Amino acid sequence: MKRLLRICASVLALASASAVMPHAAHADWLEDAAKPLKGTQISGIFLDRPGYRAIIKLLPEFEKKTGIKVNYEIVPYENTREKEVLNFTSQGDITMALVDLVWIGEFAENGWIEPIEKFTKDKSITDPNLKLDGFFPLLLDAFGSWGGKTYGLPFDNYSGLLFYNSCKLKEAGFDKPPATWDEVMNVYGPKLTDASKNQYAFALQSLRGETQSADSFMRFLWPFGGSLLDKQFKSNLMSKESQAGLNFRQALMKYMPPGIVSFDHAEAVNALAQGQVAMITEWSAFYGTLVDPATSKLGDCLAVAPEPAGPAGRLPALGGFSLAVASQASDAQKKATWLFIQWATSEAIAKDYVEAGGVSGRMSIYQDPAIKAKYKFVEPMVASWQKGVPEFRPRFPAWPAISEVVAEWGSKMMLGQVSVEAGSKEIGTRMEDILKKEGYYDGKKKLLQ
Amino acid sequence: MTRTTSGPNIRPNRGYGRWTPFWFLAPAVFTLFIIGIYPTIFALVTSFRRYNIARPRDGFPFVGLENYTSVLTDGTFWASLFLTAKFYITVLPVEIVLGLVIALLLHKTGMGFLKSLARVTLVVPLATTYAVVGLIGRLIFNRDFGVANWFLDALGVGGLDWLGSQAGAFAAIVIMDIWQWTPFCALIFLAGLSMVPGEIEEAARLETSSKWSLLKHVQLPYLMPGLTALLILRSADVLKLFDMVFVMTRGGPGSATDLVSVYIQRVGFRVFDLGTASAQAILLLVITILLSRLYIRVLYKEVN
Repeated sequence: MKRLLRICASVLALASASAVMPHAAHADWLEDAAKPLKGTQISGIFLDRPGYRAIIKLLPEFEKKTGIKVNYEIVPYENTREKEVLNFTSQGDITMALVDLVWIGEFAENGWIEPIEKFTKDKSITDPNLKLDGFFPLLLDAFGSWGGKTYGLPFDNYSGLLFYNSCKLKEAGFDKPPATWDEVMNVYGPKLTDASKNQYAFALQSLRGETQSADSFMRFLWPFGGSLLDKQFKSNLMSKESQAGLNFRQALMKYMPPGIVSFDHAEAVNALAQGQVAMITEWSAFYGTLVDPATSKLGDCLAVAPEPAGPAGRLPALGGFSLAVASQASDAQKKATWLFIQWATSEAIAKDYVEAGGVSGRMSIYQDPAIKAKYKFVEPMVASWQKGVPEFRPRFPAWPAISEVVAEWGSKMMLGQVSVEAGSKEIGTRMEDILKKEGYYDGKKKLLQ
Repeated sequence: MTRTTSGPNIRPNRGYGRWTPFWFLAPAVFTLFIIGIYPTIFALVTSFRRYNIARPRDGFPFVGLENYTSVLTDGTFWASLFLTAKFYITVLPVEIVLGLVIALLLHKTGMGFLKSLARVTLVVPLATTYAVVGLIGRLIFNRDFGVANWFLDALGVGGLDWLGSQAGAFAAIVIMDIWQWTPFCALIFLAGLSMVPGEIEEAARLETSSKWSLLKHVQLPYLMPGLTALLILRSADVLKLFDMVFVMTRGGPGSATDLVSVYIQRVGFRVFDLGTASAQAILLLVITILLSRLYIRVLYKEVN
């Protein structure tokens, strides 16, 4: 009997040990790997967004465990690329690159960031539970990879979602959100818009800048079967599908508040939060703002769904940032930065990260029933990440110049200053000029986007 | 022992030599060279090169006048330059007239405390950072809760879509510029008015009761040097006005507020084509110098 009890006790001990093993092993691994790097300082840029506030909250844990000091500067998104490019070209102090998915081509082609294979070869600094296949494949592909190599790990991850005021929809006789853009236009739009009461069905953030080009213009190309470029990298904006999408956006403006071309993210989110509009398509990262009673009147009326589908299916906006090791860092800094990146994007802290307000790129965390129940955005976001277009916005180095052209002429279209057709032609001509100068048409550059 | 002296007792300063003035001037000249002249020379050299720092692998070769040709044939550059000129000739007369009125009011005798308070208040818009002026502008001209529409509603005029329409956005940046820079004009004119000798002004007042005559024949000559300086400074300011406009409208909607500095910033720091951006900046420098020479030739006269 005693022997049996002893065996049972041993089995129990083994079982409980193995249950905590991954975490313990992870912690031990990080501490061991960081021992030679104690006192190393690493630096990067963060944004003033929930995902960064979340990791800042968890930072003391990493610093305590590793003895590595993480310095960060909080910079507005619009200035981030400028700051990083100037830093990289002047051999500055940034050791960790924050890479928006549209910058990955530029950063990788210029050799400003290191491919992760350089570090994964070294077992002493690589997390045994790194599990690259644990990331949503779409995110790892779109945010962190270029030319078949992985450079960064997905850190601040967004999907475009439909946020809506379920109470307003109910009042108008709808018990579910629109599933297609056609429904938004023909069914929900007319019933939810009453301009005399300053009430509108939908707000589309369209301020000139990346907001116009990425959030407004591109959003109506892919779901309608259109795209910016064809396979030869010539403009595809005059195709029937692209024109259909852009004309649809133009027609949908009658259900949006006046002056929509002056709406940035903050104005669109605020219009929903304060009850002026019934629906917006926004990044998942704005969930926190919409549930916070200090910034939103919505309360239980807030509901979230995947973006409506177009004739070509549901191809929602895709956006986000990866973290990558900067080539200009010293060897010790590179190793320390790699440790931080693995930790910040690991499965081990994914739950803490999500609970602190971040959106992890790890698949496993969203299988947790508690997380699913607590965060309404999780299911539609996970659904959106199952299928998508990595090149929702082209990720090649020419994008910033093209984005400026799209921003200018896209908002001119919305204002009616030029027709959709004339605006598309103008964007196409200017875009092809930029791509010609870049060397895409004379075979100097691979047609990668 | 007695010591005799002939003439005044001047002890030669052993530390003073031929090079002494040079050493006094050197720090200022050196600093000016580092922060003013070197960057200008660098920009001039860059304007003759293909210089895109986001494409380091392409190198930075000299391309002669290619950047200047591309700027001078760039329709967007000319459009933004004309828009800047339109902005300049809209804001400047208003600022000068309002500034002069404020200065004349503050120059009147009496109500000392209120005038001192007003003088201090005039500094507030000037001391406000451009970016903050832009943020304030976004709030003031917000269509739904901005104070501009609240004011129009109170007057019985319907609210305007300020930042969402082309004319509205242009008007909004004009108003914010007038708000920020009218006090500067007022202070310059006030300084000019204080230069008018009291006895001349008093004598003129005895000669005429017409305030216009007093202004035209007595005060205006003292205001002209200040006005010249003001025109030179404001020309340079308007040509480089960026932060306020970028924060308020980012140059939009469409290209309604795409002033030349906003366009140059985009070329320089979004596309990172520093060669073209430098050529644009050098052309602006030439325009500023030409305008300054013109103002000095036409307006500047020393008062005897």
